[in-house]
Amino acid sequence: MISTFCSLCGPMAGCGLNCYVRNGRLTRVEGMKESPINKGKLCPKAYASQQWLYSPERLRYPLKRVGAKGERKFQKITWDEALDVIAAKLKEQREKHGARSLAVLSPQHRTYKDYIYRFMIAHGSPNFGHSGICFVQRALGFAYTLGVPAIGVAGPDYEHTDLMIVWGANPAYCGSPMGTIRRILDARERGAKLIAIKPEMQPDAAKADVWLPIRPGTDGALALAMLHVIVGERLYDADFVSRWCYGFDRLVSHLQKYTPEWAEPITGLTSAQIRDVAHMYANAPSACILAGNAFDQMVSSNHAVRAIAILMAITGNFDRPGGNIVPTGSTMPALKSVHLRERYTQEWVDELVAPEISPGLQPFFEGTSSAYYRCLDSVLTGEPYPIKTVIAPGTQPAVITRGSKRMVQALEELEFFVVIDVMENSSMPWADVVIPVATMYESDYPFEVAQTRAGNWLMARNKVVEPLGDYKSDYEFWLDLGVKMGYGDDFWQGDIEACMDYQLEGLGLTMSELRAHPHGIVYDPKPMMYEKYAEIFATPSPRVSKAPYLPQGKVAVYNTTFEENGFSPLPEWVEPPESPSATPELLGQYPLTFFDTHTSDVYNHGWLRNIPYLREMQPHPWLHVHPDTAQARGINDGDWVIVESPHGWIKLKAVHTPGIRPDTVMALHGWWQGCNELDLPGYPVTDGGANVNVLYSTDPDKAFDPVVTAMPKQTLVEIRKCT
Amino acid sequence: MSNQHAFYFDSSRCIQCRTCELACKSANNVETGVRWRRLIDDWQGEYPHVARTFFSLACMHCGTPACAAACPPGAISKRPEDGIVVVDSAKCDGCGKCLPACPYGVPEFGEDGKMQKCDFCLGIGREPVCTLSCPTEALSFGTPDELSTRAAGKTLGALDGATEPSIVIVTWD
Repeated sequence: MISTFCSLCGPMAGCGLNCYVRNGRLTRVEGMKESPINKGKLCPKAYASQQWLYSPERLRYPLKRVGAKGERKFQKITWDEALDVIAAKLKEQREKHGARSLAVLSPQHRTYKDYIYRFMIAHGSPNFGHSGICFVQRALGFAYTLGVPAIGVAGPDYEHTDLMIVWGANPAYCGSPMGTIRRILDARERGAKLIAIKPEMQPDAAKADVWLPIRPGTDGALALAMLHVIVGERLYDADFVSRWCYGFDRLVSHLQKYTPEWAEPITGLTSAQIRDVAHMYANAPSACILAGNAFDQMVSSNHAVRAIAILMAITGNFDRPGGNIVPTGSTMPALKSVHLRERYTQEWVDELVAPEISPGLQPFFEGTSSAYYRCLDSVLTGEPYPIKTVIAPGTQPAVITRGSKRMVQALEELEFFVVIDVMENSSMPWADVVIPVATMYESDYPFEVAQTRAGNWLMARNKVVEPLGDYKSDYEFWLDLGVKMGYGDDFWQGDIEACMDYQLEGLGLTMSELRAHPHGIVYDPKPMMYEKYAEIFATPSPRVSKAPYLPQGKVAVYNTTFEENGFSPLPEWVEPPESPSATPELLGQYPLTFFDTHTSDVYNHGWLRNIPYLREMQPHPWLHVHPDTAQARGINDGDWVIVESPHGWIKLKAVHTPGIRPDTVMALHGWWQGCNELDLPGYPVTDGGANVNVLYSTDPDKAFDPVVTAMPKQTLVEIRKCT
Repeated sequence: MSNQHAFYFDSSRCIQCRTCELACKSANNVETGVRWRRLIDDWQGEYPHVARTFFSLACMHCGTPACAAACPPGAISKRPEDGIVVVDSAKCDGCGKCLPACPYGVPEFGEDGKMQKCDFCLGIGREPVCTLSCPTEALSFGTPDELSTRAAGKTLGALDGATEPSIVIVTWD
């Protein structure tokens, strides 16, 4: 038995795994009890991961394109040859177009990004292309209102709360072994109330005392109307507001128009429901909010998040027991970062091809970033300059961002495209070079740190089986490429062990000493302290100036930083590009609201559909539709249907779902892959396939939150039975 | 029987994550198309007043297993030491009579045509991996005495059928 940790999903650290090996083959996995993250539990994806490791679609050798782009003709080359080809192209382009012509897209697994940043900064391109659909969007609104980026996710104090709001989040399918859903259920058993706000009764909503089936993308309108009720009825914590909030008076007049009656036709909730939830949240002795991924995928993202941050603050639920709290951390000394943040300058920020976050607010906590979609769009528009090389490590531009048809055009036009993945993927047909990399079972690198309530957990990855082909870990790819480019001094001359040792210096540990702890090391948490307001509100931002997130040292109810950057200082309502309230003229042709979810019980993102154990659980791309809505169109449970929006069409299999808004339908993001073992087909990434991203608007004026580039995952559609 | 091995299922804690299904398949190397454990998703009521409950179904190692009584070659038996109902695949001829006999539709038939089902992880010498894996502790196991202690003060449910399934079910109150 060999212990290691998982990296099948995207959070900052994976679950501990115990791996059973016989004759050099992985036979089964179990959760590691010693891991404070998952305490012996795993998810279905990890349980199916031996099929993933040994899938016939694994990439075993680096490949070089020999046919036309899109033709899928490749020739096998060595790891070293592949790196030579990439390095030669990057050097040539650096001469001709400048280093900034390189963009690297953001991978699914986020701890990996600092190694990529190091390469980008050494090379001289700021264009890390972040997806614009996950976490960073939420984090910005919270950071610049409360001083804490992760307060909506890591903040809920379930153990002490009287009321929990699960808002646009799915703790049942996302990170189920990591404890959030268990903590919610424990609190509920203890007597805390649970409110779920989401268009479909997913499992967490099935456990809720109150389910608010809101129309997709309108959460910001609900939050503003809740603020209207709480401020109007003086249900707020007047002491906290006067001591710690800046600009509350200006919020009071601003909120007048956002009545529950105003929000009713937008959100699809009744004004009574809106008043009730406002009263419940404000009147509970303590209350916390889990704000999920939905907030990263709406054009009103920054406004909605700021409104929720203000709700937490003015009701006295910020950093108090049972509210949204700021952990005090652990006794673990700081790691040395590989990011190279110290080299950031304002000129660097100004070079971004398509700033994901408004330039005045960059770098943000993950580093500088351009927006994924717009990096690729620059290939077609040349504005403000064209990206010439895109490297896609563990991410698939053809299905992962909006506007797939446009993204495929960009991949066709792009001068040089590198795909890095463990498996054949949807974007590989357009690749010039394909780099296979090790799964988590085939490498000794890296180590990871998880911040948990039980302390910080630090563990070295342990190789479970030998690599199945000619490849190394993703981490070693960037070190090797750094050396090939002549940046060896910044990349430990390619020595991955030295790179790990460098990061661990402050802990008085080497990687081999860390590896001697088979289940890692847990550093105790510091005792919890509440109401750390003076400290929290002075937190410096990661901008070059290090100016604090909150210039007044108080909650930015009225946000002067936003105002200085040309954005509304108070949260407002912004309509999606298409919705019943925004574009009623479209309802005749497209009467239903469509949205998608990123994670199902057995899949996440745009992969894993080729794994038989998972695919047999969910064999077809589905459309959740209320039975009345379906029957009105002659659609039976299990019928294939065409889903058509103003921007494209796809084919999905109807699943009659009694617990979804009848005016709304939902699908799962990321479908394209077939499963050979089960004889199930793959699907085109463009019209006629099952990829939801062909349905959404990418209108430059309407489909982006101007502060954080959040792109909407809601539109209007009509559905009809396939004939 | 006091030494009977039994399951415990708390429907108020089941989140339909399907980890139990996958853990079972993966640990027991169950072939594609066959499920020893499966999640049942039940909707009641009319929108917006709908209720949704989940049940994780596997063989419940009944006190009086109807499948065993219906098995012509006598391939199904109940172990006296722990009450686990086991199938002797050497004796099973794949006639399928156990399937209609089981009130819960548990028996499954794979490539070899023989009946297969949950054996409480006897085959791999583990405590049942479905219970080990459950992220919310909705699913666990024990003897009937242990399980009634665990369920004290909770609302209990029962299954239809006269075969005395070895399971304690906590329902949604």
